[in-house]
Amino acid sequence: MHPAPSIILFTVLSGFGFGLISIVGLLQFLNQISTVDIVIFSAIGLFFSIIGLISSFFHLANKKNAIKSMSQWQTSWLSREAISSIFCLSIVVGNIGWVFVQNRYINEVGIILFLLSLFTIFTTSMIYAQLKTVPSWNNMLTPALFIFTALAGGSILLLDYASLVLLLIFGVLQVLFWYIADQSFIYKETSVGTALGFSKNEDIRAFDVAHTNRNYLLNEMVYKVARKHAIKIRYISFFAAFVLPMSLILMFPGNFSISVLVIGIHFVGIYFSRWLFFAEAKHSVSFYYN
Amino acid sequence: MTKLPKCEDKKLGLLIDLDTCVGCHGCVVSCKEWNSSGDEKQLSDINSHQKDPVGTFLNRVHSYERENSCTNETETFYFPRSCLHCEDAPCVTVCPTGASYKREEDGIVLVNEDDCMGCGLCAWACPYGARELDLVSGVMKKCTLCVDRIYSEELPPEDRVPVCVKSCPTGARAFGDFNDPNSDVSKKVKERGGVDLMPEMQTKPVNKYLLPRIKSKDSVSSVGSVVEEETDATGLLGWVDRALSKF
Repeated sequence: MHPAPSIILFTVLSGFGFGLISIVGLLQFLNQISTVDIVIFSAIGLFFSIIGLISSFFHLANKKNAIKSMSQWQTSWLSREAISSIFCLSIVVGNIGWVFVQNRYINEVGIILFLLSLFTIFTTSMIYAQLKTVPSWNNMLTPALFIFTALAGGSILLLDYASLVLLLIFGVLQVLFWYIADQSFIYKETSVGTALGFSKNEDIRAFDVAHTNRNYLLNEMVYKVARKHAIKIRYISFFAAFVLPMSLILMFPGNFSISVLVIGIHFVGIYFSRWLFFAEAKHSVSFYYN
Repeated sequence: MTKLPKCEDKKLGLLIDLDTCVGCHGCVVSCKEWNSSGDEKQLSDINSHQKDPVGTFLNRVHSYERENSCTNETETFYFPRSCLHCEDAPCVTVCPTGASYKREEDGIVLVNEDDCMGCGLCAWACPYGARELDLVSGVMKKCTLCVDRIYSEELPPEDRVPVCVKSCPTGARAFGDFNDPNSDVSKKVKERGGVDLMPEMQTKPVNKYLLPRIKSKDSVSSVGSVVEEETDATGLLGWVDRALSKF
């Protein structure tokens, strides 16, 4: 699949924003955070979530109808994502206002924010995980990876050792995701044979393409990334998203300025991870072009 | 609404005979022509007649070769690819704006361009590459089964079929109701074993394909190889063979 920068930035930035909001919400519920920190970190989460959503807006080819995306929540994960994110961010704004004015907070609002922001990240991941056409996305590792990426990123600024646990879960899920994506069994049912109505193992090759130049389908869904580069990018991604943050947090526990640096490095790693998430994903339409 | 209807009355679709298709791209050209004509319709091209042209099509014809395990020869066939108007159309349910829908009365899958925001998710959800985002108008385009022809009261009755069916010079494309067991398309599917594309995707396509007939061993014995071979003919032919072999 085409790794569009607008979509990658959307999932990375809003993922981090909602991850931060969920951690703030959890701490608010558990009475483990000051009112000042609620205002500051909720605002940071709000900022990143909104930047991410604006970025996704730039992916749309017909932006004037974007508002209509809130209408089909009964069947569409993208619609659920739009509604859930707007709803969640409205409560964040309300919570910030309440805490700012009253200088105290309601614990129960915290658990609502925690669950709602997790649900929002889940809906984002389900946009991809629902697609049978992309087998490497079409499993529950996708939502698990998206949720723990967001939680790990969101926890770096606010939690010390707990963020190490979340980072570790993220690291394990990330490696597992890449491992599964590499297995040929995920494509076990589809082949050029089944794409054309024959049996799975029919020996068929394309001898001519259907058009004189590239087209939308090829640009969007038959993105090819060189295998050797993909492996290198995986190492860079894993090092920046997981190894360096773990090491720095262990070396300088509770150092806020180091945490900010860690977030920056972690972002780079997650950006590469999401780039690979798209670039390496193989869509079933590519079987027509084999 | 993006909820899928039952479509218990009619399931309109195409039956495409890969045994008959000669890969002329006539359906592609006529589809593009019909669906680009008029004020409302647009299937845009960018850089047409220049370097690197790119355009939107609702129908494309691919070319393949396959090994015939019986004759050890390579056979070629052509494969027109367009929307299959699936019963469980994943492109409809993923649509966030409600622009994609499946008609209850005949099962045709359409896009309401006034609602489409051009996110492209339906094109990702379609296993067959049947949807293309028009890069000029920014909305999703797909086969309409020529809904503006088949119900037209202005056109003469014989023209009330999708334009790809009307224009096919070899009769490789047929249009009909797959829900009616007595329709021509249903009978042909039964008689010749119509197949679904990627049945594992569980989309339940309405359109069916008839695969190329497998050529028999006799079909490929070339003249050259017969001359080289020893013949075991008897009778008159045997005498001719023996007589000719003396020279």
